[in-house]
This record gives sequence, C-alpha cells and structure tokens, in this order.
Amino acid sequence: MRKFALLSLFGVCFVLSVFGQNKIEFKEFTLDNGLHVILHQDNTTPIVATSVLYHVGSKNENPERTGFAHFFEHLMFEGSENIPRGKFFEIVESAGGTLNAGTSQDYTIYYEILPSNQLELSLYLESERMLQAKVDQIGVDTQREVIKQEMKQVMDDQPYGSFQREMPKRLYTNHPYMSPIIGSAEHLDASKLEEFMEFYATYYKPNNATLSIAGDIDYETTEKLIRKYFGEIPKGNNEPYRPNVEITKLSEQVEDVVYDNIQLPAIFQGYLMPKKDHPDTYALNLLSTYLLSGKSSLMYKELVDKSQKAIQAVAFPNDLEDGGMFLVLAIANMGVDVDDLNVAIDNVLNQVKTQGIDANDLQKLINIKENQIINSFGSVANISQSLAQGHVFYGSADYVNTQLDLFRKVTADDVKRVAQKYLDKDSRVVLKYLPKPTDATE
Amino acid sequence: MQLNKFKNSNVINMKKLFIYFILSIFSTAAIAQIDRSKMPEPGPAPEIRFGDAESFTLKNGLKVFVIENNKLPRVTYSLILDRDPILEVDKAGMLGFVGEMMTAGTKNRSKDKFNEEIDFLGAGISATATSLSASTLTKHQEKVLELMADVLYNPLFPEDELAKLKTQSKSALALAKNDPSTISSVLSNKLVYGSNHPYGEVETEATIENITVDDVKKYYDTYFKPNIAYLAIVGDVSLAEARKLVEKHFSTWKKEDVPSFTYALPAVPSKNVVALVDRPSSQQSVINITYPIQNHLPSEDFLASRIVGQVLGGGGSGRLFMNLREDKGYTYGAYASIGSDRLVASFSAGASVRGTATDSAVYEIIYEIKNMFENGITQEELAAAKSNLSGSFGRSLENPSTVANFAINTERYGLPKDFYNTYLQRLNALTVEEVNTAAKKFLKPENMYITVVGNGAQVKEGLLAFGEVKPFTNMGEPERMVAMSEGTTAEDVLAKFFEAVGGKDAITKIKTAKVESLAEIQGMSLGMNYFYDEEKAAFSNKVIMMGGVMSNTVMKDGQMTITAQGQSQTLPAEQFEAARLTMFIYPELHFEALGYGMMLDGIKDVDGEDAYKITIMNEAGISTDYYYGVESGLRIKTDGQVSGEITYSDYKEVNGVKFPMKMVIKSPMIPMPIPTEVKKVEFNKPLKAEDFK
Repeated sequence: MRKFALLSLFGVCFVLSVFGQNKIEFKEFTLDNGLHVILHQDNTTPIVATSVLYHVGSKNENPERTGFAHFFEHLMFEGSENIPRGKFFEIVESAGGTLNAGTSQDYTIYYEILPSNQLELSLYLESERMLQAKVDQIGVDTQREVIKQEMKQVMDDQPYGSFQREMPKRLYTNHPYMSPIIGSAEHLDASKLEEFMEFYATYYKPNNATLSIAGDIDYETTEKLIRKYFGEIPKGNNEPYRPNVEITKLSEQVEDVVYDNIQLPAIFQGYLMPKKDHPDTYALNLLSTYLLSGKSSLMYKELVDKSQKAIQAVAFPNDLEDGGMFLVLAIANMGVDVDDLNVAIDNVLNQVKTQGIDANDLQKLINIKENQIINSFGSVANISQSLAQGHVFYGSADYVNTQLDLFRKVTADDVKRVAQKYLDKDSRVVLKYLPKPTDATE
Repeated sequence: MQLNKFKNSNVINMKKLFIYFILSIFSTAAIAQIDRSKMPEPGPAPEIRFGDAESFTLKNGLKVFVIENNKLPRVTYSLILDRDPILEVDKAGMLGFVGEMMTAGTKNRSKDKFNEEIDFLGAGISATATSLSASTLTKHQEKVLELMADVLYNPLFPEDELAKLKTQSKSALALAKNDPSTISSVLSNKLVYGSNHPYGEVETEATIENITVDDVKKYYDTYFKPNIAYLAIVGDVSLAEARKLVEKHFSTWKKEDVPSFTYALPAVPSKNVVALVDRPSSQQSVINITYPIQNHLPSEDFLASRIVGQVLGGGGSGRLFMNLREDKGYTYGAYASIGSDRLVASFSAGASVRGTATDSAVYEIIYEIKNMFENGITQEELAAAKSNLSGSFGRSLENPSTVANFAINTERYGLPKDFYNTYLQRLNALTVEEVNTAAKKFLKPENMYITVVGNGAQVKEGLLAFGEVKPFTNMGEPERMVAMSEGTTAEDVLAKFFEAVGGKDAITKIKTAKVESLAEIQGMSLGMNYFYDEEKAAFSNKVIMMGGVMSNTVMKDGQMTITAQGQSQTLPAEQFEAARLTMFIYPELHFEALGYGMMLDGIKDVDGEDAYKITIMNEAGISTDYYYGVESGLRIKTDGQVSGEITYSDYKEVNGVKFPMKMVIKSPMIPMPIPTEVKKVEFNKPLKAEDFK
C-alpha cells in the first residue's frame, strides 16, 4: 500500500532511479523462543557483520540502580561458561575480526565483523552471550572499577562531557531519560550480584533481542546455523520494565551555570522532541541539518564564519523512543560573553521560526539526507545495525528502504512549524558552561 | 569494549567438566544439543578477490584510474599530487594552509556561493597541499566536477581567509606547546629526522607570521600540475563515461615541470640517547623510543616488518600491551609501530605512563625490543598476527577506494603488478625465521632515541640508568646550558635588579600606581587596568571590553574576590596567599616580608636571552620562578602555577624608575598567549575607594 501511495506522489521515474539500485533486500524469520532474525546477503566482500540488538537501554533501569544497561555492555565481554574470562576480544582478533558494542537510552547493541568463513564463530560467541554469559562477582567488581574510570574520562575529564548528565537531569522531570546512560557510581556500588543476575535474566533473552547479519552469507546455511546456536536458548519469562510515562514539558525555562574543566565558555540548549516514530521527527531532523551541516548552513555561517562568536556549533536531534532531546550548542570564541552567545543563537533560531525556509533550502536538505542515507549503505556493519533498528523502533526492517520517503514528505512549512512548536523558549533548558574558577593550581 | 585479559584458572576447567556432565544427562532429549565446549572451526578461507583498476593517461600527463563499482549510486574523484617532500624553513606551516585557501572562493564564485552550491547537492569537496577530492551521488557528478575544476583552475586565495587561518594556527600552537603528546612528537621528529628535514621541521609563531598569500599562490602555481597528478575515480561510473568527463574537465590543465628535491638520509644515533622535556605539571610521562629506518612497500621484507610491529606492539594483544598494561598496570595502552615511507620512516615504541613508573616502563619497553631482537617470535604469535593482518586487509576491501589506492601505489612506487593480488598469499607464506631475520634488521636496541616528556624532578634520576639525560625545550630544541660565574647569589641578582630599575629607595617610595594597558585577543582589544595601593595592601585588576567591565579582581583585607559574568566569588585563603605577590608594583620588595625563601637556579635561556633563574617558595610550598637578564639585570619573565607565565619587555622610565611596557601573559586558563601593552602609568597619584571595589 505504501508503495502505491509513493508512486502516485513522486512518479514512476523517480522511484526507479533512486530505489531501483538501492533497495536493501533482506530475509526475516522468528525462532520459537522469540528471537527475531534479519539476514542481508551481499557477496561483494568476503566479510560478515553479525549484530545483536537487545531492546534494553538506560530507560529500562530501576531509578535506584542507574547504569545497569551500560554495565552489561562491559560485563558481556567477560566471557561465558565456555569462553574464558577476558578472551572474547582475543578470539575475535585472532580470527581476523574486529568488534564493538554500544549502549543508548533505548537499546544495547553488540557486533562483530569477521571474514565470512568465521560466521559460525560469531554465532557461537553471540549465542554464548545470550545463553550463559558470565555474570559473577569477579566480573562485576572488575568492570565496576573500569566504569568508574570511564565516568571520569567521558563525563568529567572530557570538556563539556558533563552535559550528558546535566542536560537530561533538567529536561526530563518524570521519565527515566533524566539519568545519564552511564548511570551513577553510588548505584553501581550499592548493587548486589543477584540484581545483576536478575537484569540479565530479564533483558538478555531471545524474545528481547534481534539478530541481524549482513554480508557474504548464504541464506540457507546461515538460517541452519542460527537455529543450531540460538534455537536451544530458552525464552525469558520476566516481564521487562518499559516506562509508560507521557513526558511532561517544563512549565518555564530552566537556566543554569555549569562550571567545568574547560577553557572556553559554551551554551547548551535542550528542547523536548516528540516520540521517535512521530512524523515531526523528520522535520526536526531536517531543521537540524538546516541549522548545522556544511559551511553554508545557517548557524555555521552566522556564528562561526561571519560574527566569529563561536568557534564551533552543533545542532543535533537525539531522537528517542519515548521522546528525545533536540540539542543546540555553541562554544564561545575568546572574549565572547556567554550571554551574548546565547542571544546570538536565539537570533538564528528566531530567523527560522519567523522566516522559515524556502523550496530551494528544502531541496538542499533532502539532497544532503539522500547522500547520507546512501553512504550509510556502504558498510555491512551499518546495514546490519540499521535493519535491526528499523525492526525494533519503526516496526519494520524495511525502514532502511522507506526512510528517505518519510523525509521527502516534509514540507518547508513543516520545518518552520516544528521550529516554532518544539524550539520553545519557555520549556527549554539553557546551560551556560563556564571554566571552573582559578582551579589551575590543581 | 574491554581489553582485559585474565589468566585461565582451574575454576574454569571445573566448570567445563560440569557442562560435560549436564550435557550427558540431556543427550537423549529431542533437540540435538550442541557441544558448546568447543569453538566452531572456520570454514575454508574465502577467496579474497578484487577487480583491477582501468587506467588511461591524458596528453598532459594526468594518470587516471577508474574503479567501477555500481553497488551504490555514488562516486568519488580524488586527485593526488606526487611531489617530493618540501622543506619550508622560515615559512613552516604554509603547506597546511593551501587546502583551506583553495576552497575559500574562486574567480567565478565567492566562498559563500561555492559552499552553498556544494552543500545544495549534498556533496563534499576538500583540498590539501597535495590533494583535491570530491564525493557525490552519481546524479550530481557533472555539477560537482564543474565545482572541483573551478577550485583547481580559479582559486582566489582571499587575504582575510589567510588572516583567519593564521589566528587559528597560533591558537593551536599555543595549545600544542603545552600538550605532552604533541611535545613528544615534535621532539621525536626533530631527533629522528633533524630540523633541516621536511619531516623534522616545526612551525612556530614566527614562521606562521611570515606566510603571505603570495607564498600560497606560488606553491599552487608550481605544484598543481597534471604531470605529477593521479586521479582516482571510484564508484558508479563506467570507464567510457569517466573518460568523457575527465577529457572535458582536465584535458586543458597545462603541464609544467615541477622541482624535485633530495635530502640527506638521517642516521641512527651511534648509541642510545636519552632526551627529556621537563614539564613540571605532568602527572604522566609520555615515552617514545624511536629511530629512523628504511622501509617501504617495495622493500623485500615489508610484510615481515608488519608482523614484527604487530607482535611487538600492535593493538590489545601485542607484547608491550601485555607487559606494560596487563601485567604491570603502568599505562592504559602501550604500542609499537614500524613505519613505512618512500623517503625515510621511523620505528616507534611507547606509552603514556604513570610518572612514578617512568624508568620502569622505559626498562620494560627496551627489554621487549631486546628480547624480540635476540629471541624472535613464536609460531603462535606468527599465526595470530597473520590472521589479524589478513582480516584487516579483507575488511579494507569493503571500501571501493581501497582498490584505487592499490592501483595508485603500484604505479607510484613501481610495485610488481601483482603486488596486492599476492599480498595475502605472501603474508601467509612468511615463516618464523623470515620474521626473525626482519626483527634483527629493524630492531636496533643499541641505537635509539629514548624520549620522555614528564616531570623532570620526578623522572630524571631514574632515567640516568639509560645514559646521560639531555634536556630539551617544549619545541624540541636542546636546552642551552650557560655557566654561571662562581659565587653569584640570589641576593646579588635582586640587588642588580633594583639598581637596574632605578634603585631600591626610589621604588620603595612608590606607594600607589594606576596602570592602564591594552590586550589583543583574536583581533579584539581588551582594556586591562591595574590599581595598586601598597600602604593599604589593596589591589584590583579590571578587564574592560567595549566600555564595560568584563571581570574585576580585587585583593584587599586579606581576601581575593573575582567578579565576572555577573557572578561574584571570594576565593579561599590559600588561593589568596598563592596570588598575593601579584598585588605589588614590584613584588621583589616583598619576598622576605611574605616569608618567601630564594634559590638561584643557574642561568637559563629565555627566548634567546640569558637569564638568572630565581625560584622563590614559601612555607606552604607555593613557588614561582623569576628570571632576570644577565646583561640588563631586569626581570624578563615570571612563571608560577597560579599566575601562569608572564614575559616582560620594553622597560621605560616613569617618574625616575623603570617599568615594563609590554607583557605577554600565558595562563593555564587561557588557550592562547595574550600580548598586552601598557598605555599609561601613574605613580603616587591618589586612588579612589571605588578603584578597589
């Protein structure tokens, strides 16, 4: 149905020219234990990317135990019943592969990229992780210390890094998004081994996971191997916690000063966004592109190139399942007053809110999106992750193929409208980052 | 992602037994259980194949390589210039400006118009001194190529863009001089290649200031020539179409001879040399052990050199990582690499380590180098390194431009035609003996530069175990040592200073002062006004921007208060104490009264001038270094943890005493040096109460 609607909207030629050669073909099935599997075959390079997305992020945590989802991203490299402690990385590397993992507010993802003759190894490793990962006291104690170092590195030592804690804390008043992904050291210290085991038993289960494989594979063999390694993993019986909370907008602007180990002051503005699958998300995404991407974008030109009030500026739509945050930030040039900078940012935002954008601007934004989307298909690791995310967050893995259409539905008026509606001064957070006073002696 | 490695233990074996037991119980179950105690064996190794590049040469000498890849509707055009490295001498830094200058507007398009046109297409064009590349969706390639050609033929090189780049560069340089990793690489490059080598020379404020638009233009006119260029076209474009587009845009490009250069080959030191940059504020030491080597793609033992580097210090499973991090815990990571370059390359092994572990870490790195030199590697290490390198070779092929690079390298460096096609085969055929022979050649445990950037007071003594420790500056220059005449004391230096500024009596009579100065920060003027009242022990410093007070520091009644951005903050007593000397017109008059002891620490080089260094310290351990010109007697620099570094010059007479009219302030709180110029000095004029508010 959707296809037909598109054809009538954009014409046959267009659809053929853009999607004729760019459709990501895939195959899907679900195991009896609930594990959803997506396969994409691309034999051009003899490598294979195996991703497992667990639908658990920091928003699923007990507010008294923040940091669990990220903690597991570490713990899951400790090994399993059959994988000796700490050998995970070495096994993959000496098989000619590479690996990584990441945690967000909404999900946790693990992936390996290996030569295609090592597909079975990646399935073995990921199934061990799902079936019987090592969740024990030694691992918990080790990773707790490592994460405390990581907290220092990414939040405290990284200039402006503390915004990951300071911004959500103020913007979200009634939703677990208020906690930083990395969580709190006190919570981790207070947690008992049983709590970690419980978390594992609830979220690291096939019925809460999506396995997505892209690369030099054969559909039939791959399915058989997947059934072999994942078929025997029992389904989880615990009900995952999914916050069912309508996010409350702030009743007035929250403005605060944050002192940090920085040399140049900065402004961070945060605004609430609608839910990830809301149509306005696409307009907001294009709005951020209009504000900042490339040297001709509005904020770059006004703040960085012309007035030179900022040495760097960013506009970023951090879209999330239950409602994300739209971030606008700028780092002040030497000698520029931080309040002046805030006014300058507001002037740029006002320009969009009052004058909007024209058809030419809109075309440029679509062109940039199209380029970004097509380039994201350049790696099988990316494709496997995008397919999994499409399935979990947009109801279909085919989202990789339809997302550009959704951007094309946005009108110039939409961009102006969402700027007015969501970049609302009266319900935003403004953080003024200032250097910690005379701390240089430390 | 974790790199932690733990020793295998009996506990794990016990668990394995337990699993076997469980499995045997359930072996009759309907679903065939799999034996999870064994890792699956890999299937037969996939054939790694990649197409050859198509190529043709234009009449003007431009060599074109086309890699058609229709997987995605995108294409990139990358132009690479193949010229000899250039020694920039007094214009060092100019090459870094070429790319930005070229893309800052053309004769047909202003910078804004150019940026708008390229962004509109969702495409990108970027340039450096030896490249110009464009990437776009295929459907926009005609237009993007037109823009690329415009940059290539008609760049404007606007003057204001150069000014902006210079300012940015100087800020970056100010940061770099205080960044231990940058200091380490500057020092290493100077030692390995020498200052008179393109790989060893370093840009300074002075060389950046020297650069003119004409220099950039001249470079462009000389080197952007088709006869030294390769054009790689990768993506959704056929050979025929590519040929048509190339003819259209690049056939009018005029060929012209380009100068070539040769450089003397840097030699390894005859014995190990220990070089130290003293950075007193360092908690960690940056260690880099290095020396020049001859190694490049065509070298017979190039692949063996990759294995040597991988086993010694590649990634999270190299010997250095295992020893220094996993076993000793000195560092977050320790790595080694065996470089490769047509001209000259370097060996490098190092880590950022805990300051107190500096000498132990140097010892362990040298041990690992020696051990591999003497005993070689094991069969297991060879196998793991081969898999690792083959794996990354295979993954690199996912990006179609890799094949273009293969083609260009083959042509450019005269490699055998099947160099890349036989790469994996040759890698996998390497034996332990071949790698060990390469290790003997590339590792030189007796001819290394052992460089350390760290807290000298903490690390110097331990480093003496490896030889004489030679001091270097943060710009990688040998620190000049000047002998001091015997019997000179700190008191003598101070007495000479008092005499030089007009006599102790004369300056003691100055009770109040008002100093108005102007500071330049990135083209903006800031007023800096200082008020001193010696009898009331009061001081203030007001920073004025566009007529308003931006920040106000007041010290009086034993308190220091800073007001800025509408916020007022009174600092703790110990910070007042640490800053206290700044509240006096001539702090030297107050050393004794404030309980500071003095120590004369020899003669040092301060920006080319010999100066006595006096370190003063109070009981709380607060210290500042004062430097006085040997010749002039005048104070030329102070350096303290709180006040940062201030240099003084251009002393002028005011009411019969001398006062410095120029100061340059470098503070840990400010990312770049601030030059200030004194506009007005008034001594012994009455000051108002609001001056100290």
